[in-house]
Amino acid sequence: MLSAEHIEKSFPSEGADVAVLKGVSVHLDEGDYVAIVGRSGSGKTTLLNVLSTLVRPDGGLLTYRGANLTSAAEKQLNTIRKSDFSVIFQFHHLLPYLNVLENTLLPFMGSFRPVSTELEHRALNCLERVGLADKARRLPGNLSGGEQQRVAIARALVKSSKILFADEPTGSLDRNTGEQIMGLLAELHGEGLTIVMVTHEPAYAKLAQRTIEIEDGVIVH
Amino acid sequence: MNIVTIPLKNMRRKPTKTLLLLLVFLLGVISIVALYQVSLVVGHSLEKKLTAFGANIVVKPSTETLSVSYGGFHMGDMLLDIKDLRESETTTAIRSIELNDRISVVAPKLVNMFKVGEVAIAAVGVRWEEELGIKSYWATDGAMPEGPEQILLGALAARKLGLETGDALTLKDRRFEISGVLYETGSDDDSVILMDLSTLQQLVAQPEAVSFVEVAALCAGCPIEDIVAQIQTNLPKTSVIALQHVVNQRMSSVRFVQKLALSISLVILVTASAMVGLSMLSAVNERKKDIGILRSLGYGKTRVFLIFCLEAGIIGLLAGAIGYLAGYGISLKALEYLSLTEVARPLFSVTQLAFCALVFPLITVLAALYPAWKGSSIEPSQALVSL
Repeated sequence: MLSAEHIEKSFPSEGADVAVLKGVSVHLDEGDYVAIVGRSGSGKTTLLNVLSTLVRPDGGLLTYRGANLTSAAEKQLNTIRKSDFSVIFQFHHLLPYLNVLENTLLPFMGSFRPVSTELEHRALNCLERVGLADKARRLPGNLSGGEQQRVAIARALVKSSKILFADEPTGSLDRNTGEQIMGLLAELHGEGLTIVMVTHEPAYAKLAQRTIEIEDGVIVH
Repeated sequence: MNIVTIPLKNMRRKPTKTLLLLLVFLLGVISIVALYQVSLVVGHSLEKKLTAFGANIVVKPSTETLSVSYGGFHMGDMLLDIKDLRESETTTAIRSIELNDRISVVAPKLVNMFKVGEVAIAAVGVRWEEELGIKSYWATDGAMPEGPEQILLGALAARKLGLETGDALTLKDRRFEISGVLYETGSDDDSVILMDLSTLQQLVAQPEAVSFVEVAALCAGCPIEDIVAQIQTNLPKTSVIALQHVVNQRMSSVRFVQKLALSISLVILVTASAMVGLSMLSAVNERKKDIGILRSLGYGKTRVFLIFCLEAGIIGLLAGAIGYLAGYGISLKALEYLSLTEVARPLFSVTQLAFCALVFPLITVLAALYPAWKGSSIEPSQALVSL
C-alpha cells in the first residue's frame, strides 16, 4: 500500500547538512498498525512526515498504491493528503477559531461551495463516535487535550482516510486520557484503518502489530 | 461553512486587531471619499466664482470674408452677409442644450456705431443682470445704470467725449444720463458706451437684434468642446467659438484643487494599504501553525493564498462600503461648515458605493498579495517545525 525505500533526508544545521534519515525502508500493507519508536532525535518524526508526504525526501523512493510520490506534483500530494492520509499531532492540531464541528469538516471547507448537510451529519456521527457530539459547537480552547485529540481523530474518520499517521498522540495527555485515545485507535484499526504511530511509550508500542525501532536515522529493528 | 468561514472566524477571534485594521483602512477610505466629494463641490464653486471674470464661449453670426483687389490695389477684406442674431431665439437655443446645467450666464450684446459731435464711438447694448454676472470686476466712480435712460461710459470713451458721471449724453435725439464712468479695465469696455440692450434696439430700430452672445460655461464636469458642439447643433447658422485660453486658465484653478485632493488621497491610500500589508505579513508569521494544519489536510498553496487574500478582501469590502457612507456624511458636514452647500451638494450615488465596495477590496487584496504569497509558499515541513 505504502512503500518507502532507501529514504534519505537531511536538514541544515549550523551551516552544515545533518543526515536525519539514512536509507530507511518501510513497507505498509492495508490494515497494518505500525509503531515507530526510538530515542529523541533518532529521526522517527521525520520518517512519519516523509511517509505522510509532509516532508519530501532527499533520496529514495516513496510509493503509494503504485504511484511514485517522491517526484509527484504538489497537486497530487494535496489530493492524497485531503482524501487518503490523515495526520494527528501531539499539539496544535486544531484551528483555535473554528468550533469542533468546523475543525472536523476542515478538509471539506477548501472551496466556495458550502459543506453539504450530508457531510455535516457524517461529521456529527463521527464526533458521536469519539464521544464529542455534545461539544460540536465549542471552540477547541474549551476542550481538554484528550478531547482535542479525539476531534483530530474524528476528522480522520470523516475523511474516510486510508492511513492515519499519529505523531506521539498521547504525548501531551495524562495516562488515563492517553489510554482512552489508544483504545480508540485500536478500535479503528479493528475496523480496517491503517495506522502508523510514533511513540516513545513502550506500552503503547506493544499495542501495534509491528514495531519499527529507529536509531540515528537507521532502522535497527 | 466554506473557505470564507476560515478568514471570517479568524477575524472574529481577534476582534481588537481586526477592528484596528478595519479602522485604519476605514479612515483612509473616509478621507478619500470625503476629499473627493468636497473637492468636486469646491471645484464647482470655484468655477462658478470664476465665471464672474468673463465668458468662455462666444456665439456670433456666421460671416464670409471677401478679399477685394482692383487695378492692382488691395482694398482690404470685406465681411459679407452679416446678419444680426435674434435675441430670444438665440438665448433660448443656448439654454435648451442638454448640458444646460453647465451654463452659468448667457449675455447677449448689440454693438452699434454713433457719432457724438465729431467723435465716432461704439455703443454696446447689454442685459445688465447677465453682464454683471460675468463682469463682477467692473467698478465705477458713480453707480450702475438703474433704468433705460441711464448709461455707463468706459474710461477712455469718457475722456474722448469729455464727459463725466452725472453729465448727459444725447444719442439720436434721445437724452441719456451717465450714471457712472468705469474705472479702466484694460479691455474693450474702456472705449465704449454701455447701455440697456432693449433701449439700444429701439434706438437703432432693430428690435430683437443682437450682434453676438457671450456664454459663461462651467467646464469641470464636461469638456468645453461638448458644450460648444451642442450649442452649434442648436444654432447651425452661427459661429460658436470657445475661448480656450479662458477655459484653460479657469480649469487650471479647478484642476489644482482636484489634483491636490487626488494627491492627498493617494498618500492616504498608500499608507492605509501599507498598514494592511504589514498587518497581513505579521499574521502570516503568527499563523504558521494554521498553515501547517491546512497543508497537512490537503490545502494547496492556492487555497492558503486565497484564505489570506479573502481576509484582506473582507477588510477592504467593509471599509469600502462603510467608508463611502461615512465619507459622504462627513463631506456633507464639511461643506455645511464651509457654507458651500448652497452652491452644490455632493451626490449620493449607488454606483459610487458599488465602486468603493469593489475597488477597495481589490486594493487591500493587492496590498496583501506579498504576505499571502509568502504564507502560501511555506512548505508543510517548515510550518510543522512550529507545531
